Parts: sequence; C-alpha cells; structure tokens
Amino acid sequence: MKNIALLGLTLIAGSTLAAPKGEITIWSWDVAAKALEATVPSFNKLYPDVKVKIVDLGNQNVYDRGLAGCAAGGADLPDVYSVENGEAEVFWARFPDCFTDLTTLGASKYIKSFPAFKWTELSVGNKRYAMPWDSGPVVMFYRRDLYKQAGISPTSIKTWDDFIKAGQKVNAKFGGKVKMGVIGNGSDDEWFRMLANQNGCFYFDNDAKEVTINQAGCVDALNTVKKLMDAKLLSVGDWGGQITAFKKGDTATSMFGAWYEGTIRSNAPELSGKWGVYPMPAAKKGGVRAANLGGSALALPASSKNKEAAYAFIEHALATNEGQIAMLKQYGLVPSLLSAAKDPYVAQGQKYWGNQKVWKTILDTLGDVPAARGTQFFQEARQIMVVTQADFISGKFKTAREALDSAAKQISAATGLPVAK
Amino acid sequence: MPYLLIFLVFWAYPLVRSLLDSFDDSRILGFSFNTTNWTRLFSDPFFLTALKNTLFIMVIQVPVMLALAVGLAVALNSGVLKAKGFYRFAFFAPLVVGTTAYSAIFRLIFNTQYGAVNQGLNAIGIASVDWLNQPGPAMAVIMMAITWRWAGYNAILILAGLQSIGQEVYEAAALDGASKTTTFFRITLPLLRPSILFCLVISVFGTLQLFTEPALITASGPGNATMTLGTYLYQQGFRSFNFGYASAIAYGVAILGAVVSWIQLKVLGGDNT
Repeated sequence: MKNIALLGLTLIAGSTLAAPKGEITIWSWDVAAKALEATVPSFNKLYPDVKVKIVDLGNQNVYDRGLAGCAAGGADLPDVYSVENGEAEVFWARFPDCFTDLTTLGASKYIKSFPAFKWTELSVGNKRYAMPWDSGPVVMFYRRDLYKQAGISPTSIKTWDDFIKAGQKVNAKFGGKVKMGVIGNGSDDEWFRMLANQNGCFYFDNDAKEVTINQAGCVDALNTVKKLMDAKLLSVGDWGGQITAFKKGDTATSMFGAWYEGTIRSNAPELSGKWGVYPMPAAKKGGVRAANLGGSALALPASSKNKEAAYAFIEHALATNEGQIAMLKQYGLVPSLLSAAKDPYVAQGQKYWGNQKVWKTILDTLGDVPAARGTQFFQEARQIMVVTQADFISGKFKTAREALDSAAKQISAATGLPVAK
Repeated sequence: MPYLLIFLVFWAYPLVRSLLDSFDDSRILGFSFNTTNWTRLFSDPFFLTALKNTLFIMVIQVPVMLALAVGLAVALNSGVLKAKGFYRFAFFAPLVVGTTAYSAIFRLIFNTQYGAVNQGLNAIGIASVDWLNQPGPAMAVIMMAITWRWAGYNAILILAGLQSIGQEVYEAAALDGASKTTTFFRITLPLLRPSILFCLVISVFGTLQLFTEPALITASGPGNATMTLGTYLYQQGFRSFNFGYASAIAYGVAILGAVVSWIQLKVLGGDNT
C-alpha cells in the first residue's frame, strides 16, 4: 500500500519534474545560427538528454518556409523558430494559432527582463508569441589602417556631411578602389531604414495605423542616401557581395546593426586589430547618432512535438546571462536582456577591434534609438521602398519627397492603411 | 470514377477556390466578399511592371530564340555535319541540368568583379558591365539564360519537322534550278510552319509563367527591373502572404493567356496544325 502511494508520488513528480529529453530542431540563419550553436554546450550541461539540431537555412528562406508552414496548418515547422522583430507581426496577425503563447510555459516572469520596445512586435494583447533575442544598434565599423592612410580621424566625423568629406579623401587617396561602404541598392533599402529611423521616421507610425514614409525625417534620409551615391562613396552589393568587399579590403567602412560585428570577425579573422567602431554620423550637428536595424526573437511553433525541451532551450539561450553572453562573445549578437548589458564582459576591450571597448560604445547608443515598428506589412512596404530607392537614385524622380509620396501611395494601396497627413 | 475524384480534388477545387480567394481581402482574418484585389490589380504599378517585363521578354526573346532554333535545326540536318548524335545531345543537355544549379552558375559568370563574362570582355578591351545591378543588363542576362536553356530544345522539335519533309520536294526544286536560299525560304520554312507554330505556342506560355530565372538569378532585381508575372505572384502569395491578391494576379495571367492564344489562332490560323 505504502509502496503504491510512493509509486504514485514518483509518477506525479516524474510527470512534472522530469527533465525534457528527445531531439529539437531549430531554424536560423548565418551568424545567428552559429551563435545559437554556441549556447548548446552550456544548455546540454543542464539538459543532457536533449539533442539540439540547428539548421542554417539563410534569412529569407526561414521566413518563406515559416509562412508556408503556418499556411499549411503547422506542417514542416521546427521546434524553435528564429524570426526578425521587424517582420514578426505578419505571423501573429495572419496565423494566430501557429505559435505557442509563451506565457503558458512561464514566460511571464521575463516581461521585465527585456526593454518594452522589444516586446511590442512580439505580443498580441497579453499573449507573447516569441522571446526577445538581440537588438541591432547601428554603428560604423571602420578600418583604422585605411582611415589613417587617407588622413581621416573617426572622431572628426560627426555629421553625414563630415562623412562625405571623409569619403572624398578616401576616394582621392585610393583612386576609387576603396569605398566608404557597400549598399544593397536594388536588393535592399537598409541604408534608408537606418537613416530614417535615426531621424525618428519609418514606413508606418508606431500604432501601425498610418503610412508615414513621406514625412520629413524620411525625406532627409533618402536625400542623404542619394548624396552618398552621387559622391561615388558607396559600391553596390548584396549580403554576400558586402562580405567579399570587406574581406578584400575594398571598403573602409561598414554601417550596420551591431550584430554585423560577428559577421566581420568570423569572416575576416586575418584583419584582427585593423578594425574599430564609431557611432553613426548625425543628420545635423548635435543630432541623434543612433538607430536600430534588425534584431530577432525566438518563437515556438504550436506544432512542436517537444514544447518543453524547446522552451527550455529558448529560456537558456535568451533569458540567462550565460546564454546571451556566449552569443555576444563568439558572434557579436547584442543582448536585449537587460541584465546581460551589465555583464563585466561588455566593459572589456576587444582584441579584434584594436582593444577598443566596442560593446560599451554600441550599448551606449541603445537609449537614443527612436522607436520604430515593422508591423505585419513590413515586407510589402520594404519591397516597394527597395524599388523606390533604386528609381530615385537612377534619377526617375525629381525630388526625394516626390519619390516617397509615390512610395506612400503604393504602400497605402497595398496595406489598406491611410497615408498620414 | 477515381479519375473524376482526382479531377475534382486537384483541379476543379483549386480553380474555384482561388477564384473565390481573389474576391477576399486576405489582410483581414476570415472571408469577406469584396473587389479590392481586382481594383488594385489595374492600378498597381508593380503588376504593370511585371506585365510589361513579361511581354517584353515574349516579344523580343521568343522570336530571337526561335530563329536561332531554326538555324540550329537546319545545321543539324545538313549532310556535311559529322557526329550528329553528339550535337543533338549537346543541344538538349541544358534541359537536363537542374534549374537551381544553372541559375547559380549564371550568377557567378555574370558577377561584376570576378565573373567570366567581364573577364572575357576586359581581355578584348571592353569595360566591365555591372550585369546584375543594372536594369538593362540584368534583363539581358535573363534573356540569355532562357535562350541558352530552351533554344536547343526547340531546335530538336523543329529538326523533327525538318526530317518529315520528303526529299522529293528538294529534288524537284533543284531540277527547277532554285538556289539554296530560295529553297529555304520557299520550301523549307513554309513546310516547317506547323513545327514552328507549336514551338511558338509553348514558348509563349512558358514566358507567361516565367519564374525560375528571374527568381534565382536576379531575384526580380535590381529594384523590380526583371520582375515577371510569375515572380510577382510568388512574392504576393508567399512573401506578403496576400493569397487573395495573388489569386487575382493568377487569374489575370490566365485571362491574358487565353487572349494571347486566341490571337495566335486568329493570326496564324490553325488549318494545318
């Protein structure tokens, strides 16, 4: 009798406290996938019975296959799914049942652990469909040696006009062989987004109710992009082309979200010590020198057969300093976990970056980043803006305002949202 | 009976369903009947660009490719050519290559800095072309890719037509003292008409559905310079997840296809096909 009771107790205890086991599959891309890989050893110390399989599908493929899987009622989805904050809302808006509400697994206790703006795009009402991962504070990564040869000091670059002057020096010194950056003109609008966000302007307003792409801050951003192009400071290249460019030393600067730190460091280990970081130039003297590009989250598809193990993985990778700092150390993903920003590692000089305390420089900009919201229409707006930017640069519009009015009209037609007055 | 079931499930249902979808505003959860997709279709600059690009390829690339195919077929049929089997295989080979693989190769050889094409141009003193980042050149790359892939296939089809022309007509023409050129334009081409017409019809429909090359070689870029109806449909359906609008585009393409084939039947006549 006693034995049976004991047996019963162990059964009950067993069902609630049993460590998760089995195999979980995770979809991610590029450096993000490698970073998750870096958290696996410490995760397996805690959960030795879970086998983690990380698949690097490339950024666009993760998104495309995720949507297709949701449309097919959750077929062919992994146990943990990587999603960019800016494009996340389309999932919750169109497929409210495709992902697990993480509060049902105990995520409520982490609400205060992350900045509120990181949760905006991941929540619907009280539901939290994904856990914040990293953020993308924008900075300029620059080649110390090339700047020196061209006679530029990065501290003198405070505005975009200063940046253009510096670029002209680089052009004069290297005869156009080395550029001040690479832009995905025709395949992306990343420069426009960074500069618009810096000016407190974006495709949509923060309530996702109106199209705001033709407002002053965005007009100024698009004008600056054209100025940089007209001054022949940028070469054109897609993601792969940009990596080739910095590896070969064809570019003296790369402007990107801070997660690009890991991309540079892991692709060009031979350039160790030659790189440095400075804040992005402002639109005008004394203006904002911060923006955000990208930043991601991890979600848990409702069709996962092993939610417990999947949630344990997400929790360990994103909600513990151990997980977040491992990713920062190895692949430069900027933690959005508030406690991780206070980790001693952040204050250390980094060998690759010429012993500069790059993480301090980068994290110090976080407080200045104007809020922006991707909304569920992010991809549609982006496709329209990519074309508009390319058309404007090739001279199809007289002014940036005219180009953005046309983009606003198209985005409004595509989304059904009115253009803001 | 089983056939009917399969027909209903895999053919009739999707047709009806996507027609219904095209009247649904898929930005709102749940079905609501309205015509927003259709009104948007005719004022959407992206759709018009996709349509323009598709028709441009149809009008320029298809005739060039068919002329090339006829030339190849005549060459393959000539008596002086040795190793005919090898050439026939060689012309047919591009079709056997996986589309993804060949698209990747095209991306590589047309790469601005390191591509074989620019290296070759530089070797003969011509400046590099920024193939994939400029609208005009990108369109040219797409057309070259499709031509490379399909010209040989069409040549083989036309060759079959050539071989069904009896030798006696050529003998008669030779007796009448007709020159080689006259023979080609007065006898060979008219008798090839059914084969060429067949190739034209399949090429036109292939162009209407063109997807692989612009999707994989240029990603519809730069901007939307090489966006076709096929890639725009995919973008709307599977990237923006606007199934309603994607269905409207699909029906737009189907209607266009019907119109084009009606024109072909009217103009070229179906008397001997």
